[in-house]
Amino acid sequence: MRDPVQIIDCTTREAVEAELFDEVTIEHFLETQKEWRPFVVAATKLLVQSGASAEIVPSHFHWDWSRKEADLRVLAFSFFGIARKEKLQGLMKLQTVGRAGRLATQKGKPLVYVDYLETAPWNIKPLMQALGKRPQFAAVGTRLIEAAVRKSLEEGFKGRLALHSLPGSERFYLEVCGMTALVPDPAKQNLLWCEFTPAQAEKFLTGGAA
Amino acid sequence: MNQKRTMTLNLTEQEMRVLEEMSTQKDLSKTALLRQALRLYQLVDVRLSRGEKLFFEDEHKKEKAELMVL
Repeated sequence: MRDPVQIIDCTTREAVEAELFDEVTIEHFLETQKEWRPFVVAATKLLVQSGASAEIVPSHFHWDWSRKEADLRVLAFSFFGIARKEKLQGLMKLQTVGRAGRLATQKGKPLVYVDYLETAPWNIKPLMQALGKRPQFAAVGTRLIEAAVRKSLEEGFKGRLALHSLPGSERFYLEVCGMTALVPDPAKQNLLWCEFTPAQAEKFLTGGAA
Repeated sequence: MNQKRTMTLNLTEQEMRVLEEMSTQKDLSKTALLRQALRLYQLVDVRLSRGEKLFFEDEHKKEKAELMVL
């Protein structure tokens, strides 16, 4: 699958075309190591040199996508990426089996679980602002969550979706996407479990969140 | 990659009853439930082949039993 999607160019504030794809390969994982990680290292050095807090560095910085290479051949997992002019802007891993709802209304019902979702560091607003720059593109995360909801519909899960949110992403999932927060999960470093009901997922897909 | 192929599946009355009961319980179509079963089977198989083990644990009885998957 290769579909055109629109993301926002933060310099011109205009929508530009990008490509959403599910044929993720080891090459994409290596691209995160080659392009994304050095960018964060360089940004951290600049922040430290300027006396700014390095706490703004994304908490998922240590993720190593290449360790997930074996999962590319497992049906229980799906991967999606977004590229703009062949340059990777975001990557996501979904688990489509063995996860169930925790909200009272959908307890025990299967859902798509967002295992990992990462946007390229130059698209992370707080990081770029700390560097005195604008992010390059916005709405990459939104397009990926939309793809996850569509995957849930395709699997027959009616849009049900869940994830454990990193602290810095909670506002995005709860306020921008409109997911429901449950309690922090002690089984997952006390990260907040966020969940979409079918109605919330439909509203998110049709609401045109950007 | 995502093109689907069709197959005919023959089930006994009992198997069909279980399939129908579970698909109602899980709010899934019968096809979706069977696809889930295949994915789960492959996931378990992959993890077992990596040397991991699958256990059922009864927290109340403090019992743990390994599940052998063929």
